[in-house]
Amino acid sequence: MSSSNILGAVLGASLSFALLTSGPALAAGSHGGGHGMHDKKIGGPGDPAKVSRTIEITMHDNFYEPESLNIKEGETIRFVIRNAGEFVHEFNIATAAMHEAHRPEMMMMVEHGVLEPDRINHEAAKAMQASMGHGMHDEANSVLLEPSKSGEIIWTFPENAELEFACNVPGHYETGMHGTVKLSR
Amino acid sequence: MHRTLITAALVAIALTGQPASAEQLYWGIQAEQLEWRGGEGSETFAWDTDAFVGTDELKVVWRSEAEYATGPNSFETLENQVRLQVPVSDFFDAVAGVRYDSPDEGPHRTYGVLGLHGLAKQWFEVDADLFLSEYPSARFEVEYEGLITNRIIFTPSIELDVPLADDEATSRAAFGPKLEIGGRLSYDLLDRAVAPYIGVHWERTFGESGRLVQAEGEDNDVVSLVVGFRLMF
Amino acid sequence: MTFGLLRRALLLGAGLAASLSGAVTAGEYSLTVDPVTVDTGAFTRTGIGYNGATPGPVLRFEEGEDVTIKVTNNLSEPTSIHWHGLILPFEQDGVPGISYDGIAPGQTFTYRFPIVQSGTYWFHSHTGFQEPDGAYGAIVIEPKKREPFRYDREYVVQLTDAHPHSGDRIMRNLKMMPDYYNRQQRTLFDFLRDTGEKGFDAALSDRAAWGDMRMMPTDIEDLQGFTPLMNGKSSAQNWTGLFTPGERIRLRFINSSAMTYFDIRIPGLKMTVVQADGNNVLPVPVDEFRIAVAETYDILVQPKEDTPFAIFAESMGRTSSVRGTLATAEGQKGDIPDLRKPPLLTMADMGMAHEGMDHGAMAMAGGTHTMPDGSTMKGMDHSTMAMTGGTHTMPDGSAMKGMDHSAHGMMPAADPFYAPGSGLTPTAANGGKFLSYDDLRAQKPLYPHRDATREIELRLTGNMERYIWSINGIKYADAEPIRLQYGERVRFKFVNETMMTHPMHLHGMWSILDTGKGKWNPVKHVVSVAPGTTVFMETEVDAPGQWAFHCHLSYHADSGMFRKVIVEGGPKAKAASLTSVKGG
Repeated sequence: MSSSNILGAVLGASLSFALLTSGPALAAGSHGGGHGMHDKKIGGPGDPAKVSRTIEITMHDNFYEPESLNIKEGETIRFVIRNAGEFVHEFNIATAAMHEAHRPEMMMMVEHGVLEPDRINHEAAKAMQASMGHGMHDEANSVLLEPSKSGEIIWTFPENAELEFACNVPGHYETGMHGTVKLSR
Repeated sequence: MHRTLITAALVAIALTGQPASAEQLYWGIQAEQLEWRGGEGSETFAWDTDAFVGTDELKVVWRSEAEYATGPNSFETLENQVRLQVPVSDFFDAVAGVRYDSPDEGPHRTYGVLGLHGLAKQWFEVDADLFLSEYPSARFEVEYEGLITNRIIFTPSIELDVPLADDEATSRAAFGPKLEIGGRLSYDLLDRAVAPYIGVHWERTFGESGRLVQAEGEDNDVVSLVVGFRLMF
Repeated sequence: MTFGLLRRALLLGAGLAASLSGAVTAGEYSLTVDPVTVDTGAFTRTGIGYNGATPGPVLRFEEGEDVTIKVTNNLSEPTSIHWHGLILPFEQDGVPGISYDGIAPGQTFTYRFPIVQSGTYWFHSHTGFQEPDGAYGAIVIEPKKREPFRYDREYVVQLTDAHPHSGDRIMRNLKMMPDYYNRQQRTLFDFLRDTGEKGFDAALSDRAAWGDMRMMPTDIEDLQGFTPLMNGKSSAQNWTGLFTPGERIRLRFINSSAMTYFDIRIPGLKMTVVQADGNNVLPVPVDEFRIAVAETYDILVQPKEDTPFAIFAESMGRTSSVRGTLATAEGQKGDIPDLRKPPLLTMADMGMAHEGMDHGAMAMAGGTHTMPDGSTMKGMDHSTMAMTGGTHTMPDGSAMKGMDHSAHGMMPAADPFYAPGSGLTPTAANGGKFLSYDDLRAQKPLYPHRDATREIELRLTGNMERYIWSINGIKYADAEPIRLQYGERVRFKFVNETMMTHPMHLHGMWSILDTGKGKWNPVKHVVSVAPGTTVFMETEVDAPGQWAFHCHLSYHADSGMFRKVIVEGGPKAKAASLTSVKGG
């Protein structure tokens, strides 16, 4: 995993998250619970030693292969994600509501030129962080990948949750780039 | 003579048309006034109609205006004009043509016509014509369509006809003008094709012309109620 | 797609013989051009259709296919078919006098061309006013590759503005009286209301300002009195597309109107725009969009509830509307919303902005009422947001955008494709996102981005009072062709000097609309130019031959806003292939 991929992953998950939670006018506590990415109900970053299996995810324009996952409750999975499309895509594990809340931030990244259709503009990302004073946050439930890049997530799934994996790059979710996680006992 | 003019116009159209895409011919018929006038013992049937055929660059207009007295069953006035119209600005056409008057009483007269026709600022429709012959005259007409609603329309109009030379045979004296003022309230019944209206029409002949009219035993100041149709097709 | 063939066979039905043998690389189709009866419910008249119906059939092609289309003219007058938006040899483009001679009565013309693209397009007669009289149909081209979006169901939604008068009659009436069909003119009562709202002096001076120009602020739709139809059906006739809740539905909107722009929304559903003029765009979620005449937009919706949804298309001038329904069962009807208040043109739409008049100056000249409701509301809205510190409780992306800009102390960017202060700038009925050209980004640029080799200025001009429309002040009959050189990239500069909106359509080559997005500029076949604006588009001149280039409003094109484009030069191979496909 190259450093730019890591940056991409970090940006995708955290920069946008940071936009929401930083800034005095914005914090206001209204996001207190809903957007915490380590929320129990979606699970959390997994211990590499406990990985039970590896699932390969291929991201196309604009869909996943496979388009649904069968996972045991409490299982820790290593996801190896490859972007086989021509556009930047995200692989993000969360609830549908969290995805929905995430999309406006992704839109903002597009507005700021951070997220271009086929690349992540790191210069713009830095400028955006500098101008808006956001720090870096590391979020483990998501990876944002440029075309032909690969990334990895190790995730421990919770019990009794309704989860989706989705790409929240503007318009991608709406056009079908999401899949369901079927949790079983 | 009319036929010659029309032929000349068509030749002109043919000459100005581009070989690649021929100019389209348009045509239309409009009757601004087609009405019965009644009042003070006299009843007349009157019309003021235009029919045209032509292109954006040249139109041939046949304009007909008449007053037909129902008592004596005769045309008090009957004017026919063939007018060629050529655009000279965004909103105005220059007019050249021929006018032929053939009332039942009085002499028939032929005039050359030079004029301007178009839309002035604030939506006033204007006709300004000079009629040339040994009895020349000038005429200025203005009309305005006032929308009460999009279908009920009040149309005031003014027409001023000024003889520039004496023509006693037609009861006209130099600079003794005839003024016509009308107000017509119409309703667009069928599209814009048929719009029935009611209104008032006032005609007054001034100066020496007025005296000539009176000398003929006629009234030089007539107010009529009018009922008619405006037509457009 | 495996069911593509079956679907085609089913859909093309009567007059169309689909070739099912072997690989789908050579399809044969036939169309007849027939006199038909148009029944809108409001009126019945004779018209022109294909295979006995208007709209004609949906022609379904596949990318890479070589099509042969036999067109038989059963009319008593000449006809033609133009394949709108298709990239093909110019002899196959179907414009009489430019591509070929047209199709004489009783004759059959055989079109042959390869399908080199995919997406939603349409076809129509390019002869006289046959298209307004009903001669149009849809084209759907399946792509070779899987598309960048998923859907379970699709429908063509073809809009038109059926008029009780024939095209010839309409043209004649407009020439005789340009406001013949304008039944939204300002009346005495409007004047009294204006007087009540802002005083007699202001109301009078406003009337005087418009009267001085001899123009009308209500002059948005030249042609009123039409009945909008959706797939040939009026609101009462209620075109219905069935769905199962949860399905993702692709709607292929085509505006086949002669003169009418529509604002389209599906109350209760967010729409994601995935294609514009047949080319994929980066998906844009919107609440409403405006479709110019001859444009196409493909959108996805995902209704989750078991309830009917209205597909509501409201004409830009708000004189008329049509409703269809996305339903879970036949017979359901979506609610018809009320027509919104008709817009009024402003001094900005008159191009006064070019003369450096700002809003303040406008207010002095014409009265503050000339500010469109929409922009005023928008401005207030955002200032409110700025004051409250840009709360992020707003649910949608546009609100985030607004917050973002206010944070930078800037006014929100109004749609740059309308003159600042324009009365035509659209706003969504639900206060949400209205699609702008500025939102369109090519999903996959068709050409490498490069600088244009030269610029050609096309002023869109007209004389409303004479109903003469022109380019650079010269109408088609008097104009020299525009000559382009094969291989150049031409930048067209449209300067709209009229108060009407003109959908400009270049045949044969793509129109790359400059939205300032560089290589992501959307690739279109119709570029709508709003009054008082200057819009740029670039064209890679890669199609030898001669082509039509015109405003797609039927009566504007016919009265002179039209040019012939001649592409000079080009590879010999292409010229040879042109010769070989000629014929039929």
